Amino acid sequence: MRPSPQSRGLALLPVVLGVAAVVALAILPKYVESPYALQLMVLFFLAVIQGEAWNLIGGYGGQYSVGHAAYFGIGAYTVIVLLQSKGLAPWWGLFPALLLAVVVAAIVGSITFRLRGPYFVLASIAVAEIFRLAALNWKQLTNGAEGILLSGIPPLVIGGAQITDFSSKVPFYYMGLALAVVTVLVTIWFQGSKLGYYLQAIREDQDAANSLGIPLTFYKNVALMISAFFTAFAGALYGLYVGFIDPQTAVGLDISVQIVLTAIIGGIGTVLGPVVGAALLVALSEALRSNVLTDLLIGSGLVDAGSGIGQFLRDNLSHAHMLIYGVLVALTILYMPDGVLGGIKNQLRKRRSRAAAAGGAA
Amino acid sequence: MTIFLQSLLSGVLIGGAYALIGVGLTIIFGVMRIINFAHGDLVMLGMYASYFLFTLGNVDPFVSIIFVFPLLFLFGAILQKTVINKVLNALPQNQILLTIGIGLILSNTMMLLFTSDYRIISTTYSSGSFRLGEISVSTPLLLSFVITAAVTAVLYWFLLKTDTGQAIRATAQDRDAAQLMGVNVKRMSVLATGIGAGLAAVAGSLISPTYYIFPQVGQPFTLKAFVIVVLGGMGSVMGATVGGVLIGATESLAGAYISSGLKDLVVYVLFLLILLFKPAGLFGKSRV
Repeated sequence: MRPSPQSRGLALLPVVLGVAAVVALAILPKYVESPYALQLMVLFFLAVIQGEAWNLIGGYGGQYSVGHAAYFGIGAYTVIVLLQSKGLAPWWGLFPALLLAVVVAAIVGSITFRLRGPYFVLASIAVAEIFRLAALNWKQLTNGAEGILLSGIPPLVIGGAQITDFSSKVPFYYMGLALAVVTVLVTIWFQGSKLGYYLQAIREDQDAANSLGIPLTFYKNVALMISAFFTAFAGALYGLYVGFIDPQTAVGLDISVQIVLTAIIGGIGTVLGPVVGAALLVALSEALRSNVLTDLLIGSGLVDAGSGIGQFLRDNLSHAHMLIYGVLVALTILYMPDGVLGGIKNQLRKRRSRAAAAGGAA
Repeated sequence: MTIFLQSLLSGVLIGGAYALIGVGLTIIFGVMRIINFAHGDLVMLGMYASYFLFTLGNVDPFVSIIFVFPLLFLFGAILQKTVINKVLNALPQNQILLTIGIGLILSNTMMLLFTSDYRIISTTYSSGSFRLGEISVSTPLLLSFVITAAVTAVLYWFLLKTDTGQAIRATAQDRDAAQLMGVNVKRMSVLATGIGAGLAAVAGSLISPTYYIFPQVGQPFTLKAFVIVVLGGMGSVMGATVGGVLIGATESLAGAYISSGLKDLVVYVLFLLILLFKPAGLFGKSRV
């Protein structure tokens, strides 16, 4: 399943394609100025970072955390609170934010990784809910349910030259792209590393892995810390980009579910799965929000625009993205438990073996 | 002392409804080994059913359980037959994600149909109370507790004395052995999901006179139901009954002595502590 050392030399094509994709994305803002397109891309990058980060512990390690909103929220809140109340520039605020997320992950991990299966899932949700309730109730620090509205980001000046004043979406685009590329590279490294192999062994059979001398909690913890690091980074970026955070949108259970969905829909335990999942989810929620889907349904003649149903869809479908997420996750689990990428691979494999069988018979 | 007794009493009264929710979850888990993350959303459906029976049909919410239970029993049974049954042998994580998806579908469909406006059922007794010495007792909470106790008694009789009830318990104890003894375990799974859904909805109906009703109201109940079931021991009906009352009381006391905003936080911390130090719960066998 995983690339063996011999096949690595042959895997030139993916490298070339990957570099080409990154270069294309890097020069994109030179040609596309529409803030709307850039907005979509930033959302896509954020989803990629979160999905890849979750994938490390959830996909490779099989530890389905449904509480990653905790780390996302720690990243967002630390950076925003330090910036808004202490005036600390976000690039300095990132250090305490990421450190805090990693330390929290180490503590949470050493407590919850003793639990297995559904018990671990429940514990991870409880931890995230504890953080959400803390954000909701620690009003002096977080402004409670009202949330924090960012009044501005100071311009980034390096060596006397102003790099950017964060007035457009372009700097966020590049930060998102850079971090997304880094998480993908980390995932590629992780997949072939000792740590990655240990985690996959743990996913397949914890007891067998343990009996082979793999310290379970230690390696799960290391993977969770890396995962929390990038999730918190994404949270910080999200907070700065949107300029507003509150407990529900930064630490809510919906965030945790979306993160898991991104990885699951694409295909867990693969490098590209979360990228595919992020592209699908961002495209779909945007299609819903901007009523593209309704227009399509009406345009195709399936639904009459003047009818009650047409009007109802137009009024309501734009708020329905969580409903669609629910439908997607149910369909994925029922019909494509390996995700879109896994599903395609299985189909190809089936076709190939069928072709081979047909060839053998002839 | 008055504050203590007052909070303890309100906690125990609301704990009755919690117990019903927890018992529903534990029966579903017992028979199918599936943790139903849509459980709170079934409570929400029960609340809405009572709301519409009250506003459209003028049916008292406490009387409405006669209609709500069969309605949601049917809903749960269909859900089991069409969807949940397909993942009985899937990875536990996938089962959880599926029920999370079902929960999202339920709450967001309700939001699409009835908006996210808060609704209330205002009966003549909604804000009624009477005094018992120094303590004031809320009439709707007391009524709901009495009905809860009656429903629980009927449930225990059903599980202990009837053939079907014993078959459900046998399936929960050992699915394969029950099947070998001639129990139709597939039918028991459908029944268990129906009963679980019905109980959650009845609890929703019983608390509907004292709660705001809105599509997202279910989520905290899902989490609370887990805490209750883990505290009592996964799969133990007795444990869930006691656990519900205990959690109700804990929450109420935490609200009185710590802060009402932090009472849920206290419950979740307690939950983590139970998971770590007594994962088998008060009445269960360890399955960790």
